[in-house]
Amino acid sequence: MPITQTSFLRGGAVLLIVGLLALLAIVGSTIWLVERSQHYFNEVVAARDLRTSTNNLRIAMQEVETSQRGFLLTQEESYLEPYEAAHNRIIPTFEELRTIVERYPQYLDAVERLGPEIESKLAEMDQTIQLARTGQVAEAVEIVATDRGKEIMDEARALFTRIVADADNRLIEGVEEQRFSANLLRVVAIAGGFLILLVGGGSVWIALSYTRDLLAARQEVETLNAGLEQRVKERTHDLIRANEEVQRFAYIVTHDLRAPLVNIMGFTSELDQTMKSIQSYVLAEGGTLSEQEIHEARAAAAEDLPEAIGFIRSSTRKMDGLINAILKISREGKRPIKPETIDLQALLEANLATIQHQIAEADGEATLSVTAPRIVSDRLSIEQVVGNLLDNAVKYRAGDRPLEIRIVARNVPGGQVLIDVSDNGRGIAAEDHQRVFDLFRRSGQQDKPGEGIGLAHVRTLVRSLGGDITLSSEFGKGTTFSILLPLDVRTVIRSEAA
Amino acid sequence: MNAPKPVTIIMIEDDEGHARLIEKNIRRAGVNNEIIPFTNGTEALRYLLGADGSGLESAGRHLLVLLDLNLPDMTGVSILEKVKNNQHTRLSPVVVLTTTDDEREIQRCYDLGANVYITKPVDYEGFANAIRQLGLFFSVMQVPETE
Repeated sequence: MPITQTSFLRGGAVLLIVGLLALLAIVGSTIWLVERSQHYFNEVVAARDLRTSTNNLRIAMQEVETSQRGFLLTQEESYLEPYEAAHNRIIPTFEELRTIVERYPQYLDAVERLGPEIESKLAEMDQTIQLARTGQVAEAVEIVATDRGKEIMDEARALFTRIVADADNRLIEGVEEQRFSANLLRVVAIAGGFLILLVGGGSVWIALSYTRDLLAARQEVETLNAGLEQRVKERTHDLIRANEEVQRFAYIVTHDLRAPLVNIMGFTSELDQTMKSIQSYVLAEGGTLSEQEIHEARAAAAEDLPEAIGFIRSSTRKMDGLINAILKISREGKRPIKPETIDLQALLEANLATIQHQIAEADGEATLSVTAPRIVSDRLSIEQVVGNLLDNAVKYRAGDRPLEIRIVARNVPGGQVLIDVSDNGRGIAAEDHQRVFDLFRRSGQQDKPGEGIGLAHVRTLVRSLGGDITLSSEFGKGTTFSILLPLDVRTVIRSEAA
Repeated sequence: MNAPKPVTIIMIEDDEGHARLIEKNIRRAGVNNEIIPFTNGTEALRYLLGADGSGLESAGRHLLVLLDLNLPDMTGVSILEKVKNNQHTRLSPVVVLTTTDDEREIQRCYDLGANVYITKPVDYEGFANAIRQLGLFFSVMQVPETE
């Protein structure tokens, strides 16, 4: 499919837009994915902070508890060192946790509740240590044995475990999400790259095929150009031929018109002569006339006078006939052509039918073979052309054999149709092949009436249809007239008008 | 000196009026030789060269051909060509009579062997004069016997 300039521009623009959109999509999705990645990263950091501070709190509480129990068992102050250190860490660590937990409302209540409990646990531990220091170890152990502190610790531990487990989950999820984002980013990048490759490839392809089309178009133009030169050559040839025909026509017309004029002038002079001898006889007025004069006058009146008048009259008539024939031919060239679709088979059959009885009289037969069914041309002209040729075929048949007429119509290259009308008649001698188409010219034995107009008329008609007529013939064997016509007369009329 | 044998004038002229005028003027010039008229080329050639075209029939004849160039069935030029290319008729003088004065055509006729070329003028006096002079020409001309 050839690419037109508009489709090339349109295709290029579409590809450009597609490429731009792909680029925008890549950038957009990259930004979105980075945002998303950032978000999960923040989540992960927060979860890690939560986990860390939770663990810190748990460790601190466990250290405090362990240290308290060690002191209660041994009453040695050295066991209390971790207690002192961790004790101070607990409240800030808890505060830290509480701040972090603000982001996680699901733990908020539990952590809020944990606050007073831690304080009461710390207070309980402070109380037991105070008691142990004052030697009331049993009371301290009793407080511990109430399991109040243990319950708090268990609760706290359960909460811590839950928070840590959740944070772990969140960490895993976050990492998963980040990995997913990274994968998605990769996929988007690959897809976008692929799309851009496609767009680039498409653009290159379009440009290449457009260039190729341009080259092909240029080549076509060159071919057409060459064809144009060929056509100019053909037309020039046609013109030269037409010019030669016009010259021959002028030659024939002047000669043929002059011939009767010579007669008219000649016999007018003869009339003059005749008149003199008659005058001398008629105007003698009783004068004596010689025997010779009387004889001449009588011969003039009886023979010369009617002969001269007869020739003058026949020459005038002939001249009139010639002028009429010339007018007819010239009108034929000017008659407007009415293009219509013609079924050649039907037209030729109808044409043959009109001479059927003449063919039958001559014991003849006619065959018709049409492989070019339809043409667009002037029906009347084609009917006249074929009719004329068929009349000739019958008129100039050979007397010694049955008449055979054959019409073949077929398509030929160059949008033309060729109609061959062949007969087995007397034929036309080679030197007269061109001459028979001339006005008032005939060939062969002059035993049939005719004026030598038919074939000149036929040629004029065929030419006016943009065609040509030629003949091939062997004297004594038969003649084939070949009519070459354009399939559509309108193409020829148009190009001639142009 | 032997008296010249009578010469037969072959007049090939399709126009009967022209033929009549030519004959009248030839007679007026005092030429009384036999004139055989033909109105078309086919019959004239059959007489000159015989049905087989060999020209044997003309052997021994004394002929002078008056030829019109524009005949209905063939050109006078092709008759001239045939007559001048036939060994039996080539020595017969051919006088070309025509209504055209196209120089190329005149040249062509002389090239092919025409002996005289006369244009039929519309002016009758000129025509009559030409024919009468032709008659004088006939009376002094020795027409060779055809071979």
